[in-house]
Amino acid sequence: MGSLASAKIVALPMVDKYSDAEPAVAAVKPAAVEISAAETAASANAPVAASDLPVPEPEVVPTVSLTRVFRSLLARITRDRIITAALACISIGALFLFWYLGTRYRLEFYIRFKNVPTPYEVYQQLTQVGLSNKYLVNIAISVRRILLGFFIAMAIGVPLGLAIGKYQRVRDLFMPVVEILRPIPAIAWVPMSIMLWPNNEASIVFITFIGAFFPILLNTIHGVHSLDGVLIRAARCLGASEFRLFLNVILPGSLPHIFTGLAVGMGVAWVSLIAAEMISGQFGVGYFTWEAYSLVDYPAIVLGMITIGFLGLACSGIIRMVGSLLMPWLAFAPGGKR
Amino acid sequence: MTMAMVETETHKGFIDVRNMGVTFGANDSKVVAVESVSLNVQPGEFVSLIGPSGCGKSTLLSIVAGFVKPTLGEARLDGKAITKPGSDRGVVFQQYSLFPWLSVRKNVEFGLKMAGVEQSKRNTTARALLDLAGLLSFENHYPDQLSGGMKQRIGIVRALATSPQVLLMDEPFGALDTQTRVVMQEILTNIWQQFKISVLFITHDIEESIFLSDRIYVMTARPGRIKAEIKVPLPRPRRAEMTDTPEFMNLVQELKGLIREESLAAMAPEIKDRGLSGFGMKVGPKGVGEIF
Repeated sequence: MGSLASAKIVALPMVDKYSDAEPAVAAVKPAAVEISAAETAASANAPVAASDLPVPEPEVVPTVSLTRVFRSLLARITRDRIITAALACISIGALFLFWYLGTRYRLEFYIRFKNVPTPYEVYQQLTQVGLSNKYLVNIAISVRRILLGFFIAMAIGVPLGLAIGKYQRVRDLFMPVVEILRPIPAIAWVPMSIMLWPNNEASIVFITFIGAFFPILLNTIHGVHSLDGVLIRAARCLGASEFRLFLNVILPGSLPHIFTGLAVGMGVAWVSLIAAEMISGQFGVGYFTWEAYSLVDYPAIVLGMITIGFLGLACSGIIRMVGSLLMPWLAFAPGGKR
Repeated sequence: MTMAMVETETHKGFIDVRNMGVTFGANDSKVVAVESVSLNVQPGEFVSLIGPSGCGKSTLLSIVAGFVKPTLGEARLDGKAITKPGSDRGVVFQQYSLFPWLSVRKNVEFGLKMAGVEQSKRNTTARALLDLAGLLSFENHYPDQLSGGMKQRIGIVRALATSPQVLLMDEPFGALDTQTRVVMQEILTNIWQQFKISVLFITHDIEESIFLSDRIYVMTARPGRIKAEIKVPLPRPRRAEMTDTPEFMNLVQELKGLIREESLAAMAPEIKDRGLSGFGMKVGPKGVGEIF
């Protein structure tokens, strides 16, 4: 949400600039005419005075209004941002405060903070373990698994979703299988996956793929279905062939929904990955966290959790960023902030 | 330069619809939407099709556009039977149909891109057309940044970009407010005169049809048939002031009479069942007209 909102803020001055530029140009034009008129008149009378006079006049008018516009925009943006940043600090700060107070006074109120490490212990863990190879390798392996599983899911899910959405017969063929497989959670695939795939790595990537695949597929189908039929008719009238219709209308038209699917798919992929790593894994952040539990290394558990949180945040942040880069028009869509 | 391109083809753009019949559904749920309709649009002529809602006028346009196949009869463009949509017929829809993901200029370029025209040429044509629509300064905006009237103006020039022989317009100003509508009508007549293109214009607005057209077909309530064909003898170019002339008023009266009969006929069953019976009024099978 943050990146889309900021895209809107960035785009706002553009609109103002354009609508502002028109009168500014109109204002400059007569001045320019005056110059040429003045010059032709001046060539008969006093050339030196004429060339000096008109210069400052057109310069002053637009710069004043533009700086004023920019200044007010700048003020608005920074104030908005300060509030946003302050609220973000408060919400994260409250979490840490609760954690700190809980561990500081060893709260025993149904939930037990007896064994929970303090924030400082976790910080120490980060400075010791955080720079170790083991920790970084675990992160790298998890990220590689996520990227593999996610991109395979995207590469299959999006084209298949477009085809299912567009063609009734493709839908008739694939949807029964999809409907049966979809309710099976990715974690339930763990035993089957271990049987199916030749090695551990492939089976974990497969589980990640399963997690990401269905949200991507279903949202893509939904995107095609929610595409306004008049756009397809308009494209046909303008001479679009079947292939070009796909490329130029159906794909960009479903893109907002596809990106919703990608964001949801990424979330589910992380859930599936961590579970798979905990159950069957070697390496990975999920394995790191579970191993810490088995070794009674409490600070490492929390470090693992926080790492998962940050990795998930980074991944969905990247998806949103790519989304707003690929779909700049959404900033202006009705109900644009999404 | 675009105009010169079109002007060489002024002899083309002849729409001929003969004995057209359209039936939806089968057996019990069969609905006859259009029945034995014959009409034509001469090259360069502006023809309106007017009638009560649900009379099948949009269906007729969909057939000429190539979206719907008729049950009976056929539609021809310059002697060639129409079977599917194509860029020889520009279509302007009632709903805004600009691609929201494309900038205004890219929208206008779309048809040219589909035709494989190179980028620099597309750009020049699109800019010339946007200039004509008075929207050149908005070329890099997205459709969602524009007002309804602007969107429809772009919809019109987008349909013209591929130099079609005919322009098919399905209540293009239906969603606009009255003031915008009047201005849009004037803009449309201007564009039409420059392009000398055949236009088939669907509307339910009587003044609009008279102001724009050379000829008007009035359709009956469902099943839609041609009830009357009226020539509009007003001189060109049309000006907004003309709507106050007695000639214009007479035409309005004439058309109002024709349409009213059909609107009442179209509404009769519902009025009989619900609307008026509640007030203790008796509505006979042909007595609706007396009440109004």
